Amino acid sequence: MVNQDRIRVVIDGTEVSVRPDAVVLEAAMEAGVYVPYLCYHPGMKPFAACRLCLVQEQVEVEVEREGGVVVEQQLRPATASCTLPVRDGMVIMTSTDNVRDLQHGVMDMLISEHPHGCLTCHRVELCGPQDICQRHVSVNDRCVTCPKNERCELKDSVRFLGMDLNSPLSYKTRGLDLQIADPFYDLDYNLCIVCGRCVRVCDEIRGDSAITFISRAGRSLVGTSRGTSLLQSGCEFCGACVDVCPVGALVEREHKWDKAVKVERTICPECPVGCQLNVEVNKREKLIRVIPEINAPANKGQACFKGKFGLEYVNHKEKLSQPLIRNQGELQAVSWDEALKYISEKLRLYKGEQFAAIASSSVTNESAYVFQKFARIAMNSNHVDTDANSRPSLTRALGKALGYPASTNPVWDLENSKCVMVIDANVTEEQNVVAVPIKKAVRARKTKLIVIDVREVELTHYADIWLQPRPFTTPYLLAGILRYVLDEGLADTPFIESKCEGFDDLYKSLERFTLEMVSGITGIEEDNISATAKLFATSGPSSIVYALDNIPDYLQEVNVNAITNLALVTGNIGKPFAGLYALQRGANQQGCLDVGCSPDLLPGYQKMDESPGQHAIQSVWGQRAPRMHGKNLRDILAGVKEGVIKSALLLGGKTNHWEEEFGESDEVLKKLDFLVVHDTFLGSVGKFADVVLPATTFAEEDGTYTNLERRIQILTKSIVSKKGNAQPAWSFISHLANEMNIPGFDYAHSSQIFEEIASVIPFYAGISHKRLIDESVVTLRPDPINPQPTQMLYSDRVSQGLQWPCFDLDDEGSIRLYQSGFPDHKALLFPLVLKLSPKPTNKEYPFLFIPGRVLAQWERDVEVIRIDGVNHIQREELLEVNPIDALDLTLNQGDPVEINGKGWHMSAAVFITERSYPGSVSMTTLFGEVATKAHLDTAKNARLDIHGLYIESVSVRKIDL
Amino acid sequence: MTKAYNALFESALEHHEVLDSKLKINVGMAICGEAAGSFEVMEAIRHEVIAQGLDAVVSEVGCLGLCYAEPLVDIQFPGKPRLFYGNVKPENLPSLKQIRVKGKNIPLATLGTPGLPGIPDLYDLPMMIRQVRIALRNVGHIDPTDLHQYIARGGYKALDTALTEMTPDEVIEQVKLSGLRGRGGAAFSTGTKWSFLKSSKASEKYILCNAEEGDPGAFNDKGILESDPHTLIEGMLLAGYATGANYGYVFIRHGHDGPIRRTQIAIEQAYKSGLLGKNILGTGFNFDAEMSLVGESYVSGEETALMEAIEGKRAMPRYRPPFPAAFGVWGKPSNINNIKTLAYIPEIISKGGNWFSEIGVGGSSGTAILCLSGNIKRPGMVEVPMGLTMRAVVEELGGGVPTGKVKFLQTGGPLGGVLGANKLGVKLDFKAMSDAGAILGSGGIIVANESVCAVDMTRLLVAFCQYESCGKCFPCRLGTTHLLEILERMCRFESIPSDMDLMQVVGKEMASASLCGHGQLGFNPVQSALDYFGQEFKIHIEEGRCQTGSCDINFITPTRTRR
Repeated sequence: MVNQDRIRVVIDGTEVSVRPDAVVLEAAMEAGVYVPYLCYHPGMKPFAACRLCLVQEQVEVEVEREGGVVVEQQLRPATASCTLPVRDGMVIMTSTDNVRDLQHGVMDMLISEHPHGCLTCHRVELCGPQDICQRHVSVNDRCVTCPKNERCELKDSVRFLGMDLNSPLSYKTRGLDLQIADPFYDLDYNLCIVCGRCVRVCDEIRGDSAITFISRAGRSLVGTSRGTSLLQSGCEFCGACVDVCPVGALVEREHKWDKAVKVERTICPECPVGCQLNVEVNKREKLIRVIPEINAPANKGQACFKGKFGLEYVNHKEKLSQPLIRNQGELQAVSWDEALKYISEKLRLYKGEQFAAIASSSVTNESAYVFQKFARIAMNSNHVDTDANSRPSLTRALGKALGYPASTNPVWDLENSKCVMVIDANVTEEQNVVAVPIKKAVRARKTKLIVIDVREVELTHYADIWLQPRPFTTPYLLAGILRYVLDEGLADTPFIESKCEGFDDLYKSLERFTLEMVSGITGIEEDNISATAKLFATSGPSSIVYALDNIPDYLQEVNVNAITNLALVTGNIGKPFAGLYALQRGANQQGCLDVGCSPDLLPGYQKMDESPGQHAIQSVWGQRAPRMHGKNLRDILAGVKEGVIKSALLLGGKTNHWEEEFGESDEVLKKLDFLVVHDTFLGSVGKFADVVLPATTFAEEDGTYTNLERRIQILTKSIVSKKGNAQPAWSFISHLANEMNIPGFDYAHSSQIFEEIASVIPFYAGISHKRLIDESVVTLRPDPINPQPTQMLYSDRVSQGLQWPCFDLDDEGSIRLYQSGFPDHKALLFPLVLKLSPKPTNKEYPFLFIPGRVLAQWERDVEVIRIDGVNHIQREELLEVNPIDALDLTLNQGDPVEINGKGWHMSAAVFITERSYPGSVSMTTLFGEVATKAHLDTAKNARLDIHGLYIESVSVRKIDL
Repeated sequence: MTKAYNALFESALEHHEVLDSKLKINVGMAICGEAAGSFEVMEAIRHEVIAQGLDAVVSEVGCLGLCYAEPLVDIQFPGKPRLFYGNVKPENLPSLKQIRVKGKNIPLATLGTPGLPGIPDLYDLPMMIRQVRIALRNVGHIDPTDLHQYIARGGYKALDTALTEMTPDEVIEQVKLSGLRGRGGAAFSTGTKWSFLKSSKASEKYILCNAEEGDPGAFNDKGILESDPHTLIEGMLLAGYATGANYGYVFIRHGHDGPIRRTQIAIEQAYKSGLLGKNILGTGFNFDAEMSLVGESYVSGEETALMEAIEGKRAMPRYRPPFPAAFGVWGKPSNINNIKTLAYIPEIISKGGNWFSEIGVGGSSGTAILCLSGNIKRPGMVEVPMGLTMRAVVEELGGGVPTGKVKFLQTGGPLGGVLGANKLGVKLDFKAMSDAGAILGSGGIIVANESVCAVDMTRLLVAFCQYESCGKCFPCRLGTTHLLEILERMCRFESIPSDMDLMQVVGKEMASASLCGHGQLGFNPVQSALDYFGQEFKIHIEEGRCQTGSCDINFITPTRTRR
């Protein structure tokens, strides 16, 4: 970063200044000189295997000649530039005859085992798959039948090197079967060049090591690390291997041979990480492939199975295209005008407290803002919330203690944290890319990992310490850790004294949380509590990643307080690599709350009283919002049940976020007199709604998302649907408001809305669509006609987005919060008031069922069976039961049992172990089952519906054989 | 001298005196002995001892180097010279009651004065007479599982001296003075290598001892480990002290049970006696050592692949720089030495670097530890001063080929290539060997007589290189495969004249572009065979016949050619 540290290198006559720790290959890219390579990939350590990126260094040598010593320029032997460190004043030649000879030699050998009949053909770009080939290249060996034909680095490199391919080396294909039974992507190892990119990305970046090199020498190839199927080897189906494959060996199965006509950069709508994705769109305006952006700040080229393979629903033919109105029990297609007129007439009847508005947490900031504005000033109701806000304390308690209700640091700070504590979060499945820096750092032995979760989630397999507190007792455990930290002098006292308030009350409240007491309640041994406290407090900059999975609502706020307290007393706030990460669920949950989708806070978290902020909003809106606090999601549902709320507007009919916590919400919503749903598909709620409006998908609109790093990033309208009239929420709401004669909704474009957002939210004030677009930087220096990894090819510009607070146009945003202190000068330490809850007893379902899910359990065999050409995991699941309960139920080791929950049942074999607490039973299943199900869903173009890991009440019954 | 060492030494002497008062029977139980049947011999002797009610100490010893005479039994009656009996079988056990010099069981040699008339002294045997034993000073003489015997013969004295009287720099200085060069193949100056590690400021540094020794025909590393493991441990300790490293790994392929077991025992003994672990000999020096076992992989003997293997990864070489002295095992600075190199260190420290440098010839000081095998009368392990000619080694020590004439030698492992009979005059000297187009390498010498076909031998060597290519870098993975395919064609007489050029093209590519030595030297066996026996290749291609007839049989060589 610092310029004076850079050193100068001359590449083919071009002088360039580079980082001192760069290698020559990077310097060449910087200089705009193309050096061919196949195994190198940016973002990964060099591998030095393909030996294509050879260069020669020119050095001055003193030579004795007649008449004395003369200095001569000599070329050193060719070396691989991907591993050659730069030196100041180095002179490099990249295309000497020697280098080209050697590159041709490597390539000759390489294509002796890769089909290449088309490479020297002048028709290579003209030929169709079924054309008669006068050169007798068999159909299987043709480039045109290779799904990677457009982006094949091998083909491009051969052509870059200008080879005539007349090598006498004998050609042999491997003759292997295609592997097409595993989810999501096809493997054709006949095309593999064994560059190892896939193996390395899986190991080095993802920390999974699901694939590995197998055999050696002429037979070395890539295969699964265990078993024969990826389902057995611990694959998380993130697709990183597919993204880096230079040839056609690994390809996405859907739209395998489709060609892209354009590539657009947008943001993934699946979770709050905010991964930038490059989406390939074909000529029929279908989204055919997703390549995560390598220079994106939040995901650095990574994605997960949801983002990479789960967006197929965008192309679904059953997407709603027309508004539907229920007429005599049947939904009938109408025009937008008719629909809006109808809605406006109906909604007039429900103004005020009878109306509620629930936004999907994956709508854009613009839509969310217009939505809450509509509810507040058109419908005069503050009953506004988002569908993912079932845990309001998640960020809100952060805001109370620190100032801003948001995570403090960027995701990739986790890679450099000395210790990471993950609390009650299923990161790998729900906010996948957050797990990537954690796993990467743990695998590189840079970071210690503490996991606090009673469930066996994926990250527990990477943890140095895994604590399994009894269900619902996490806050007690945190209190115990806090007290130990303070008692043992592990706290950052200067930080507490200068930057925190309320220490004495906190300390007093911790009095009763002795190790003994906490150990008794949580079931964690005292030594483990103290070891955890020591590790977290003494490792250096440490981070906490938390969700509130399975924390009952009456404990959620105190749980977050305990987490914040722990970060504060150890001084892990307001500095690099020491962050607090609140894991929301919806892609734009942060943004929705920021712009006011909240029952008691206006945009920018302004209170509803007579504050200056409220006045500012009032002056922009021309009207003030109702004064009474509205109901949140939980209370809205209760209100509907009681009949207080009679009408609702829902953005997104995807209620799966809340069903798990609120039960039968669909049944409750049926009670509404008038329900309007804006959704992409006719979902479960739409089926009984009075009006269903067609919504655009994330790929069909522009706007912004705010991710969990507070990073505002811009979505691009990637697909233009030729048919259908779907509209983004902000658009139809504006029309609706106009129809209802409400002023202040004249928006022509989402950027206009963002300008209004910036004018009412001080910490968004410096941000605009224009800035987000203009400040993206062009990065690709080598000529894009040269062979490039796909991710490089698509990364023609880097867009960092802007992280709020960003107060004016000169403000570059805030990468980390509180680095220069807290907004209210001091952070608040809240005393921990914890009531022991009575143990819920349920005669029908006496046990707590604790589900777990991991990528692999090496200690157990897994069988994979093929049904209709699709691999499925088949194994008997084990139900872990405490010996005491086993005695009660007269269960012996291995007995078959039936588990009954509300509305489901399954069978398993009993595994009696002390690991399970009395009264709870646990079962860990494999992610592979989810992957297969998700794969079948995407094949049907349906949205992924992954069942979360929720603790439920069940009964257990022995099956008599 | 430290108190702790003194106590160890006293108790070792005491132990030695007890041993001296008894009948001592040593049976050679190294790989060579075990292959020749020493298990049965051992059992028969134990049986005899019990049957005859003898007060005897029966021990397993390692390899004396006279592998041709295995199973070798060495008997010493109290106060009498040691008697070495060769090729002992259970049915012709030597007498355990008295010394006999007539009849069937005549000792091969004796050791100690007075000797026996008509029986040569051990060191006057033709295989021994020109040897100078430094690293092999204890092999076959001590029970490798008995620390006392090692200490009684002066073991760990050098460590004690270094720890009490020398600074680490002085230790390195002595090693530099000795001119010792690495015996693993690359022949880099050991002292210089140590000073690289010494200069690293890291708190965690490693000494790695490479006993992978995958070369066919090389068994001296394993020979030292199973005959005298404490020499290695002492060498590692000295290396650790000199370089400031506190951890050591002995790296060996799994399955070599003798060397592994005995080294493991030696490490445990050293820990118990305060020679490993914390506060060694009470001097405050700490050093921990453990064994690291690896699967079958030739390339894991390459230094960076070895580090990957220790870390539990697939044994594939890393790129350099960074070099091991900066980024070694677990990413920490490391120094890697061959066992033979480390086995010299105790003697160098005891007797001084100058003493060592006077042995051998300039540029190649000290001795060469060689393994003789193949078509030779006396296969075995020898240690001779550098500068001796190959002819002397093969003909005087090894006794020459049993039938016919020497056709070529295969030295330094498969990558070393072959040395034609006309080069037998070459001296054992790093420079002279490389000038002759061969390498000393790990010290294996396989002798071939005229019944061996050069093409077939080349195919075998390339098959080995190909089978063992780790598959990482393209030139080696594909180059060895193509070379092997071409050579197999030649041996089947299906080759065409242009194949000779094709091999050169592939070979040049491998030599210039490969990542590690395996690929860079992978063409050596072909090139050297072409140099000496180009005519034979021509006959195979042009006349479609093999002079020796060995190419006419089906290949049974394991290969990993393309599917």
